[in-house]
Amino acid sequence: QAADKTLLKTPIAFGSHLPALGTPIVWVSEQLNLVSDGTIRMKIYEPGKLVAPPEILDAVSSGKVNSGYATAGYWQGKMPAAGFFSAVPFGPEAGEYMAWMYYGNGLKLYQEMYDTNGYNVKVIPCAIISPETSGWFNKEINTPEDLKGLNMRFFGLGASVMEKMGVSTSQLPGGEIFGALEKGAIDATEFSQPAIDKLLGFQKIMKYNYFPGWHQQATIFELLVNKDAWGKMSAGQQATVENTCKASMTNSIAEGEAMQFPVMADAKANGVEIRYWNDTMLKAFEEKWGEVVVEKSAEDPFFKKVWDDLNTFRTGYNLWESNAFLPRSR
Amino acid sequence: MTENDTLPSVPLADKIDRFIQRVGMSVAWCYVLLIFVIILQVVLRKGFSSGLIIFEELQWHLYAMGVMFGLSYAQTTNSHIRVDLFYAHFRARTKHIIEILSILLLVMPFIVIVFAHSIEFFYDSYRIGEGSQSPSGLPHRWIIKGVIPLSFALLGLAMLSRLYRDTVLLIRGE
Amino acid sequence: MDVNEIMVIAMFLSFIALLFTGIPVAWVLAGVGIIFAFIGQFADVYLDTMTGLDYTTLGLVVNRLYKIMDNWILVALPMFIFMGIMLDKSGVAEELMHSMQELFGRVRGGLAVTVTAIGIILAASTGIIGASVVLLAVMSLPSMTKQGYSMPLALGTIASAGTLGILIPPSIMLVIMADQLGLSVGDLFMGAVIPGLMLGAMYIAYILIYAYIKPNAAPVPVDAKPVSWPVVLNVLKAVLPTLFLIFVVLGSIFAGFATPTEASGVGALGATLLAVYNRRFSIPVLKEVMGGTFNTTAYIFAIFIGATCFALVLRELGGDELIESFLTGLPFGPYGIVFFILGVIFLLGFFLDWIEITLIILPLLAPVISALGLDIDGYGVVDNPELVWFVMLVAMALQTSFLTPPVGFALFYLKGVCPPNVKLSDIYKGVIPFIGLQLIALFILVFWPQLVLWLPAVAYAK
Ligand code: NA
Ligand code: NA
Repeated sequence: QAADKTLLKTPIAFGSHLPALGTPIVWVSEQLNLVSDGTIRMKIYEPGKLVAPPEILDAVSSGKVNSGYATAGYWQGKMPAAGFFSAVPFGPEAGEYMAWMYYGNGLKLYQEMYDTNGYNVKVIPCAIISPETSGWFNKEINTPEDLKGLNMRFFGLGASVMEKMGVSTSQLPGGEIFGALEKGAIDATEFSQPAIDKLLGFQKIMKYNYFPGWHQQATIFELLVNKDAWGKMSAGQQATVENTCKASMTNSIAEGEAMQFPVMADAKANGVEIRYWNDTMLKAFEEKWGEVVVEKSAEDPFFKKVWDDLNTFRTGYNLWESNAFLPRSR
Repeated sequence: MTENDTLPSVPLADKIDRFIQRVGMSVAWCYVLLIFVIILQVVLRKGFSSGLIIFEELQWHLYAMGVMFGLSYAQTTNSHIRVDLFYAHFRARTKHIIEILSILLLVMPFIVIVFAHSIEFFYDSYRIGEGSQSPSGLPHRWIIKGVIPLSFALLGLAMLSRLYRDTVLLIRGE
Repeated sequence: MDVNEIMVIAMFLSFIALLFTGIPVAWVLAGVGIIFAFIGQFADVYLDTMTGLDYTTLGLVVNRLYKIMDNWILVALPMFIFMGIMLDKSGVAEELMHSMQELFGRVRGGLAVTVTAIGIILAASTGIIGASVVLLAVMSLPSMTKQGYSMPLALGTIASAGTLGILIPPSIMLVIMADQLGLSVGDLFMGAVIPGLMLGAMYIAYILIYAYIKPNAAPVPVDAKPVSWPVVLNVLKAVLPTLFLIFVVLGSIFAGFATPTEASGVGALGATLLAVYNRRFSIPVLKEVMGGTFNTTAYIFAIFIGATCFALVLRELGGDELIESFLTGLPFGPYGIVFFILGVIFLLGFFLDWIEITLIILPLLAPVISALGLDIDGYGVVDNPELVWFVMLVAMALQTSFLTPPVGFALFYLKGVCPPNVKLSDIYKGVIPFIGLQLIALFILVFWPQLVLWLPAVAYAK
């Protein structure tokens, strides 16, 4: 094979049929081939075909594959701060998140996290999606009391918050959730955005779909490239990959924003009640999130470092945000 | 269980096999423990609304230990499944030769490759202090990841024992 | 033919050839995988291929192995095996088979019908094929042998009844298929109910007809009495403990106390309590059950582990593309392509297990099917009705893969618990008519999609 051609073998963490979770990387692979005039090819491997999603980081770092597509939240067990580069409870929306990533210290800290933990990877943010729903319930939730004692499927940092609310959380894989709900082994669940939740069929058996997704206002997905493989690419090829991913940020947020409302309207027409958390609930979630942050910051210095940096940025941004935007109509 | 025809005795190989079986039978208690953990989880969650992620994770930890350490045990009991359509009619000598060649050419390369890579896999997890993805899950993933090199080392030992047994039997002409 | 294609075909052929030498299936899969990885590396250097295979890439086997270890759904397998072996030791199982058969009095084939009926019940409590087959075999094979059943009929009945669990929900296979294709698990579960029960009913009809035509194959027990009230009472008494156990397992799922995975643990405890109740329980018995569970689970998972190595290398060699490009180039009409695909799946089922087929083949097929423009009615409720229907066809076709030699998991499980004098070839003979029934059921589903789609449409209509 000629040295000026690169094949990126890319296992992905979400099936390429899943709108917004999986479709962006397909777009990236098509664009890479076009933009590079065929000098960069990306071959996508569906989840589990070569390697399962939670193993992607290890596989890329050790060079078993030369790249991978996932979301940093998957590595929370390895690096507690990883969640910050994936989605932050009560965190920024897409615009502010990208501002911190590209023009604040976000991306620098992101790469630093992998470097200091000995992972031989180059990280490139490669998609961003709009808010998730914060859960499906079969009863109205008006006060924190209503949550107590529920069994709920919940993932990531948000799960710590829910546990502090008195919810017993589990982390069933996507495919098990419907069965568990139907049989009553769990009472409630969150998974992703309306268009993706629909594929799991929640609207068929659950009555209340709650918004806003306080635990995931925006979610970033990453392309990981093995550093040795990255080093072998020419400067032009590197720029091609980085800029195609940046273009994918635009493409994915647009796709995600466009496809939720028809699905919600459809669910509504079929009897699903769409609800918005009342202020008491939102305040309660936020308060518990504050407690989680304090605990995690005490445990892990890098977690604290990223949290402080993000917070400083957001405090500054607030002056702009609170003045620049129209209030939202509800 | 598949082949109840026990192989002729070869002292050294018998000794190794007995050792592996003793280790195996101690690990096998993990399945009894697994029943208790499952019941505990069900009771806690449904009875007291406080099911715990650590119990969910403990379940697959215990199951994984049973599966992995069982590999070498099943090898010593000669249980691994064979398509015996023709095999059942082979002479003892042919069977010994097949066994020796398959261990040398098919099984050992596999065991060596998995063992070598699993050391790095285990060590990375240890180095990084990996725990569960879930904030309230089990810590110390290196323990369960360490099961891979350990159980494969035992499987390798069981294979060497079988290799030795078949070589001796082939020479003895049994 | 290019080098990659030759390597893929050579890999399949070596696998099949080595199977027949009697080398354990697990090690054939693993070893062939490793050997072809190095052949791939050689081809990259000297034959200008781009497999990317080498020693480093093979490290993925460890990551894949770990994914088998941390799979919470598979925890149910050793638990159902434990339940099966403990039930055997408790003495309850044989009593159940014996007395339930009395209920059928002088009906020929009554015992085999009982086995199928219990198979349907087990299927509804778990999707774990191995455990159902093992449980049915240890429960019923001794009684059927004692009654003078023909070996093939007895073995075929057990293997086929034991595999119903993969179709009748809850089913791990349907969960994984839904995940692969982005379909609703609920639609698939509901969609599988009628096809699953239909297949079970076909088995029973076949057994009754066969036993009627060939009385020697399924003799009525010599001491068979006409059904009388005392007999019914006896049956009730004997059935009670096992019904209790099935009730505990099914009940804990349907009452929402436990997930199907957890229900397996509840069942294991229930079987142990039954042994205690019957005064058959002791520490040596527990150790024996434990050892049996340990051993059986291990040799089943050895095959999973070998298969994961094999599948990895097959993919890296380009096996996927080979299959996909072949299918998309077919010149048949829509239903012709459907039949062709089902035929291919049936054939692949001889050598690959459902996990590999579901993970490798199914995702390649979905877009092909969607593009056919088949007019399948989802009653306005079921999303992607043509895919739901197609998945059910595939699921039905995969039923056969458990029963088709040389690699048929149900056959292996069954062989594992049979007395040593039962040869694999006896089992092969026994399952042939049941494979035929499955193919008939498959045809019925192709032409009556309503059998699949009606129930989910009714169940989930608001
Ligand atoms: Na089932
Ligand atoms: Na088969």
